[in-house]
Amino acid sequence: MQKRWQIGIALFVLMLATVFAVGASQLQSDAGYAGIGAAFVPAVVSIFLGLVGALLMWQALSGGYRNFSDALIGVASDNRGALWVTAGILLMAALITKVGFVLGATLLFTCVARGFGSKTWLRDAITGAALVLPVFWLFTLVLDVNLPRLFNDWL
Amino acid sequence: MIDTWNLLLGGFATALQPMNLMWAFIGCALGTAIGVLPGIGPALTVAMLLPVTAKVDPAGALIMLCGVYYGAAYGGSTTSILMNTPGESSSIMTALEGNTMAKNGRAGPALATAAIGSFIAGTIGVILLTLFAPLVADLALKFGPAEFFSLMVLAFVTVSSVLGASMLRGMVSLAMGLAIGLVGMDSIAGIPRYTAGVPELIDGIEFVLVAVGLFAVGEALYSVLYDPKGENAKRNKLTSIMMTKEDWKRSWPAWLRGTAIGFPFGSVPAGGAEIPTFLSYSAERKLSKYPKEFSGEGGKGAIEGVAGPEAANNATAAGALVPLLTLGIPTSATAAILIAAFQNYNIQPGPLLFQTSGPLVWGLIASLYIGNVMLLVLNLPLVGLWARLLTIPKPQLYAGILVFATIGVYGMRQSAFDLVLMYVVGVIGVVMRRFDFPVAPVIVGMILGPMSEKQLRNALSIAQGDWLIFFKQPIACTFMVATIAVMFVPIILRKRGVRLAEDD
Repeated sequence: MQKRWQIGIALFVLMLATVFAVGASQLQSDAGYAGIGAAFVPAVVSIFLGLVGALLMWQALSGGYRNFSDALIGVASDNRGALWVTAGILLMAALITKVGFVLGATLLFTCVARGFGSKTWLRDAITGAALVLPVFWLFTLVLDVNLPRLFNDWL
Repeated sequence: MIDTWNLLLGGFATALQPMNLMWAFIGCALGTAIGVLPGIGPALTVAMLLPVTAKVDPAGALIMLCGVYYGAAYGGSTTSILMNTPGESSSIMTALEGNTMAKNGRAGPALATAAIGSFIAGTIGVILLTLFAPLVADLALKFGPAEFFSLMVLAFVTVSSVLGASMLRGMVSLAMGLAIGLVGMDSIAGIPRYTAGVPELIDGIEFVLVAVGLFAVGEALYSVLYDPKGENAKRNKLTSIMMTKEDWKRSWPAWLRGTAIGFPFGSVPAGGAEIPTFLSYSAERKLSKYPKEFSGEGGKGAIEGVAGPEAANNATAAGALVPLLTLGIPTSATAAILIAAFQNYNIQPGPLLFQTSGPLVWGLIASLYIGNVMLLVLNLPLVGLWARLLTIPKPQLYAGILVFATIGVYGMRQSAFDLVLMYVVGVIGVVMRRFDFPVAPVIVGMILGPMSEKQLRNALSIAQGDWLIFFKQPIACTFMVATIAVMFVPIILRKRGVRLAEDD
């Protein structure tokens, strides 16, 4: 499992390197006095990505990443918690323009607290709203940051 | 000299305006709070606060953001001493000695020596900044693109190789940061790159989004996956903060030594406050007349071991402002985000900053003197209040952090899609954290990448395509040689048994 992840990460870096290399080769640019154009640095970065990706792959295949110990890190235990956090963020992204920032953020707050094991969702929702409202007023009324509203500047 | 004095006085006139005092206070209080709270650091906080740059005037906003940066260095010690869970990795050394002291009923003096030491080191650091920054800026005026390019290469190589346990993984992070930085319009020829025809990408990828995704969402997801309940660390009892005569006598030299070690480390692009705090700790342990008291010897905790590293930590924070303000070179993720704050006002930190935005910079420097006093007051008599932050339960703490994260990201472009992107970056952040890839090089690469490309192409244009320009000019050549030397630092440190971890 561990090894597969390490190889997967190395593959991801190598894939990124390929994408950037292909992109660099398609860039048209005039080299000018510098002798290098807009495609030069992208090419260098893609080579750099390819190089570190290859080294990472080599480490993954030859006994795992160096100076890295799994013992330092716990084992993933709470996938359901992560799902709640994910749901909170994605729900907020989907609903923010429809229900406004205050309701969206309160929902996010409740979901995340639930994900971290809080069972008192009603109390969390009230705490969330109590935190979100003054922040919303601060940003919309004082700082002029445009946040979606349900009715007016106050909600 | 007289000039500097007058400019600084002018700076105080700016900093002492009631509005700016208020911003400084908000920044210091916020900074202390996030320093105390685990799971939220200065880089994330500054990133989330960037939307305020839309409305607040530059002096006020930058004074506040620097207060956050500075305050976090103070607040970190409280958590280390009371709970043995360092809020920032630069306070790991403080945790070692301070928590042992607290366990033996001396939490108060440990907190006091940390706060006073931070104040002394911070103030000396700002004095040195006042004296040196104009000199460095003058020197840097002689820099051309070749010098700047080689300096930037030095900066990102150091940040990537010195932070984190593995140089290779640091370099992977850096490469990803550089790659992300390439997306968007190229700054010299105006050619769109890697935009895949998406118009939003022509402006590049918003790096507040990347920072908030990596730091806030990544941290929250990581925490829920791997540590949902949190360590129920036992809290030590807070005792009287009075230091005895003996405590003072032992703290003084440690504060000064810590400052002397920290400031130079901050002012060269060496990345992070971890190495100086470690060096200060080992120096104190070697020099102490009471080596038996150190926790490593099974003692009751030696006050020098708190005083030195805390002073070093704050002196480093002040020192890091030298390259930030005079050269426009960030040496940490927080510094990189501060540069973005300047750029939001179309101000480019660098040698010209002292000429083009003199009142602003001097106001900022003056506010650091004031901030130090504020932080001393906030951290000494009010320490009990901050300690209460530690009673916020984890579910509500992370829920709150994510609410603020969404404001930061959504407030930039009013795009719900950005929230989804933030989540995706957060997932990448979890994988990075899980496999011990440092996060700061991504941010530093994103900011410095486009800047260094511009310098590279300008330098080569001037030299008519002669690559040896970077080795023909003495200053540029020195930086290049230093870059190569820096790559050996982690190897040497590892041989001496130091395991590096990431700050921010």
